[in-house]
Amino acid sequence: MRALVRAEVLKLRTVALPLWLLLTTLALVLLGVLATILTAGLEGAPLQRDDPQLLARAVASASGGNVVVLVLGILALTQEFRFGTATPSFLVTPRRGRVLGAKLIAVSGLGLVFAVASVVVALVASLALLTARGDSTSWDSVGEVLLGVVLVMVLYGPIGVAVGALVRNQIAAVVGALAWTFIVEQLLVALLPSVGQWTPGGATAAVLQLGDLATAGGEDLLPVWAGALLLVAYAVVLSVLAARLTLRRDLT
Amino acid sequence: MATTLLLDGLTKRFGSTVAVDDLTATVRPGRVTGFLGPNGAGKTTTLRMLLGLVRPTSGTATFDGRAYEDLAAPTREVGTLLEATGFHPGRRARDHLRVLAAAADLPRRRVEEVLAQVGLVDAADRKTGGYSLGMRQRLGLAAALLGDPPVLVLDEPANGLDPQGIRWLRSFLRSLAEEGRTVLVSSHVLPEVEQTADDVLVLSKGRLVRSGTLAELRSAARGGTAVRTPDPARLRAALEAAGSSATDAGPDELHVPLAPERVGELAAQAGVVLHRLAPAAGGLEQVFLDLTADAAPSDGAAA
Ligand SMILES: Nc1ncnc2c1ncn2[C@@H]1O[C@H](COP(=O)(O)OP(=O)(O)OP(=O)(O)O)[C@@H](O)[C@H]1O
Ligand SMILES: [Mg+2]
Repeated sequence: MRALVRAEVLKLRTVALPLWLLLTTLALVLLGVLATILTAGLEGAPLQRDDPQLLARAVASASGGNVVVLVLGILALTQEFRFGTATPSFLVTPRRGRVLGAKLIAVSGLGLVFAVASVVVALVASLALLTARGDSTSWDSVGEVLLGVVLVMVLYGPIGVAVGALVRNQIAAVVGALAWTFIVEQLLVALLPSVGQWTPGGATAAVLQLGDLATAGGEDLLPVWAGALLLVAYAVVLSVLAARLTLRRDLT
Repeated sequence: MATTLLLDGLTKRFGSTVAVDDLTATVRPGRVTGFLGPNGAGKTTTLRMLLGLVRPTSGTATFDGRAYEDLAAPTREVGTLLEATGFHPGRRARDHLRVLAAAADLPRRRVEEVLAQVGLVDAADRKTGGYSLGMRQRLGLAAALLGDPPVLVLDEPANGLDPQGIRWLRSFLRSLAEEGRTVLVSSHVLPEVEQTADDVLVLSKGRLVRSGTLAELRSAARGGTAVRTPDPARLRAALEAAGSSATDAGPDELHVPLAPERVGELAAQAGVVLHRLAPAAGGLEQVFLDLTADAAPSDGAAA
């Protein structure tokens, strides 16, 4: 299994895609930080400039790349079918579940790399901006939020791999996943949190402690630990489903 | 080292299409086995079943009794080159092989060795997206050789190769078989394996229509002599006077059911000028065409 994980890491390292996605992620993180801090204190904004949670809210933007990591996971799998590398992959390792497992691990690892880079950028940018404006730089809840960011970034990749394995068609998987996270989930979490809190997006908001910010009526989402468990459950259940349902199909 | 492949009642249906129909055959070590059949005969489907990529509707395919999925180290035991095998266009050729070597837990050195074997060293750092068809084929062959396996299963390996490449491939396959390896090579054109294969399996519409040695197939060929002369009428008369016969095989060309030596002698005795004297060409080709045409119901309702 170690050899297989090494191979999957090598697959990711020998194409340009991860680098571009990392740059995209960091750009999204910066935008998120800027938006959070620059709107703080404006009329109608949920945060005040002396809010002790301001730094925590700002660095929560480090999770802005979660969708990028999701797409990375989807592409890591669907490209094998699109470019036909699934054939040599499954010839070297006929037990297809092991290939899937190794890919899940490798993509999680890359998610961790993305998470660390995102956290560093978010912290540096937030502290610089807040200090420059003379706003609150209280570290209240920052530790928990950063832990949540890492968790989210590590789990979205495997969820993407599993979705990719279930859908197989690259365009359908990417478009479907984006439509789901940006439209369906956002609406569910904001307008119908009793349902939305159980979606991956709802669980993510819970882990990042965005609760009352994410929902339109300021309702609470799941507790942090439950959100974390729910995300793990999504990754595991979707992977098992993929291994059982779609992975064994004929490769012609 | 010697591994025998056994296909036993192998059958695959895709919906109502029977791609492979109750195929039973043995592929022996130390020999090159040509797996022949026209387009759509079911060669690729058979090889994919053999390699665990396609699940048979019924039947089994084994390597010394073990299914491909049950091999402990498949890459070291079976080298494979399949049609429609892909490469990530943005990945360098060397990296493609490194990935496979890593997954199979093979030493990095093997990557350089197989690159040299297929003559891709100079192009190894180029992305495969810019590779020509022949270069892709060489890269696929390199991948098949990575584990230095005792069995090679190659689907149309000559596709896209230039004449030098084809000649190299032929002698390479021969030398692999002479080392005692089992070599199974598919092709839809007979001449491609005619100079390489010891055994042949001929597939038509999913059914095995012939199996045996190439020599047996050859002896079933029509034989005889093709002869060209500016005076076919006189040659025909001379042949008939000697108790033989001749049939027209084109302008100024006759087919004679005698060995070329005998035809030459009779022509010399009769003082007939010959422009060409050779064993009847296409004999084997014709056998192949006959075999694969016979089992071809034109309605396609094979069920
Ligand atoms: N995934 C599939 N779904 C449906 N039919 C298929 C599928 N794969 C192959 N077939 C059918 O099975 C038959 C055998 O195809 P196969 O690719 O094995 O032939 P082949 O001998 O390799 O031909 P070629 O010389 O063109 O490569 C064909 O009729 C083909 O249309
Ligand atoms: Mg084929």
